[in-house]
Amino acid sequence: MIERKDFKYYVLRIIELIVLIIWLFPLIWMALTSLHVENDLISKSFHFLPAHPTLANYTKAFTSTYILQWLINSIIISTSTMILTLIIDAPIAYAFAKIKFKGKNVLFWLVMAGMMVPFQVLIIPLYLQFNSYHLINTSLSVILPRVALPIGVFILKQFFEGIPNALEESAFLDGATRYKTFSSVILPLSTAALTTVTILSFINSWNDFLWPLIALNDTDKYTITVGIANFQGTHGTEYALLLSGAVIASIPQFVFYLFFRKKIVEGIAMAGLKG
Amino acid sequence: MIPGNKDSRDGYIFCIPFLLIYILFMVYPLINGFIISFFKYNILSTKKFIGLANYRTLFSDSKFYSSLWHTTQFVLITTPSLLILGFLMALFVNSKSPFKVAGESIFFIPYVFSMTVVSTLWAWLMQKNYGLFNHLLSTVGLNPVGWLIDSKWAIWSVSFATLWWTAGFNMILMSAAIRQIPTEIYNSSSIDGASYWQTVFKITMPLIKKTLSLCLILQVIASFNVFGQVFVMTGGGPYGSTRVLIQYIYENGFSYFKMGYSAAMSYILFALIMICSLILNKIGGNEDD
Repeated sequence: MIERKDFKYYVLRIIELIVLIIWLFPLIWMALTSLHVENDLISKSFHFLPAHPTLANYTKAFTSTYILQWLINSIIISTSTMILTLIIDAPIAYAFAKIKFKGKNVLFWLVMAGMMVPFQVLIIPLYLQFNSYHLINTSLSVILPRVALPIGVFILKQFFEGIPNALEESAFLDGATRYKTFSSVILPLSTAALTTVTILSFINSWNDFLWPLIALNDTDKYTITVGIANFQGTHGTEYALLLSGAVIASIPQFVFYLFFRKKIVEGIAMAGLKG
Repeated sequence: MIPGNKDSRDGYIFCIPFLLIYILFMVYPLINGFIISFFKYNILSTKKFIGLANYRTLFSDSKFYSSLWHTTQFVLITTPSLLILGFLMALFVNSKSPFKVAGESIFFIPYVFSMTVVSTLWAWLMQKNYGLFNHLLSTVGLNPVGWLIDSKWAIWSVSFATLWWTAGFNMILMSAAIRQIPTEIYNSSSIDGASYWQTVFKITMPLIKKTLSLCLILQVIASFNVFGQVFVMTGGGPYGSTRVLIQYIYENGFSYFKMGYSAAMSYILFALIMICSLILNKIGGNEDD
């Protein structure tokens, strides 16, 4: 009996290991491909490992495409979006959580209803709107529609509600105003939730595709997400170059992930469990 | 409370920055788009009110129907498979396997990469002449498959890439819910001699039902909004066989400049998504009570 269980145990573990390796493999393949000489990839003989490992594709990606510019654009756009999201999401979440005022419930539901609206529905009117402001083809047109993040308001409101009122009340007794307690009592206690919202906003903006594709016309203004798709069109058959572009495009996100791994996972779980 | 008399004023002041942006870039375009859908509107010409004509045209547009069908196909393929796969992954990372920690990272990692990177990578894996998949097929003596250029396969191939990309997201949601189940419940069931899968079906699934129905709704919404993967991997081809609704909306708006028509179509999509989530919500909610 014990022996059979052991056998089953090892078989299961081996299956698990194989599945995990297969799951990870496309990413390894992406890295391996980018190190190949272009012609080796389309030769008759199949090389699993690069026969003549080279970084030439990376050099080419950096020198003959806008990839560096796209990365910079994406970093500027996503960082600005994330900062602006915090600046507008946190105060309204605080008002919803801690202040009594007329019309609060109606406002709250108005904001939450925003979560139901698929962004894609807005592309035509947004395009016309930004066109009339003469802001099409600017970073601002990509940033502004992504700033108000209802899910962020929701997460922050839930968190603020969990902070005991007594903490604020003692500050009020000392003569502090709302603004003072919000910035010096509430916010410092809420770094966990603020980080979650920051991350959600950043990822949201970084991965945005359809809207920047429409709003940005000039190749050098693209975000990296749009840029890589554009790569497919212009370098469709240069696979090693394409894949090295994909690797370069992934580096910032990957570093972001390594640093905030736990926070990202927690953030998703938090948004899910409370939603 | 001390600032009591100033509460109303403070409440509004704290709301203003968000509401300003929200109304300007969400509420206003949402309403404006709906109005535009009743106009014949090509950016260069003037707007002309045509009532329901856009909606009427739409219902006799065969490309609209085929795009809607492709989107529906994508929803039907990816929703169940992503939920099941996500759930299996969540079970795995909460099991006693020595690989569960590594598993959580490995299953989640594809989600970290952006849609265009994932699509580029999978378009390469599935490339007909030089892609890895067909190399593997030929080593076992099978003929190469036109994963992305054969209309029989294309939608499945894109769905498969999507599965790899986002299953980890569902895993995280479900795994978080599983972790909230008190361990005593499991202990008592193992004393009762329940097998692993009995425990899963009788205890785990009912206890995380709320999260499962949330995942279902989120997934249906996300799948209805599919565009990027298809656009990058197949461009809607071969011969429009994978053109999804959002791509058709995009083409009408920005290739043919039929803004009104395009807006009308996006409102139909919006309505469909709303109806689906309401129905799913109702089903999930009713069972809860």
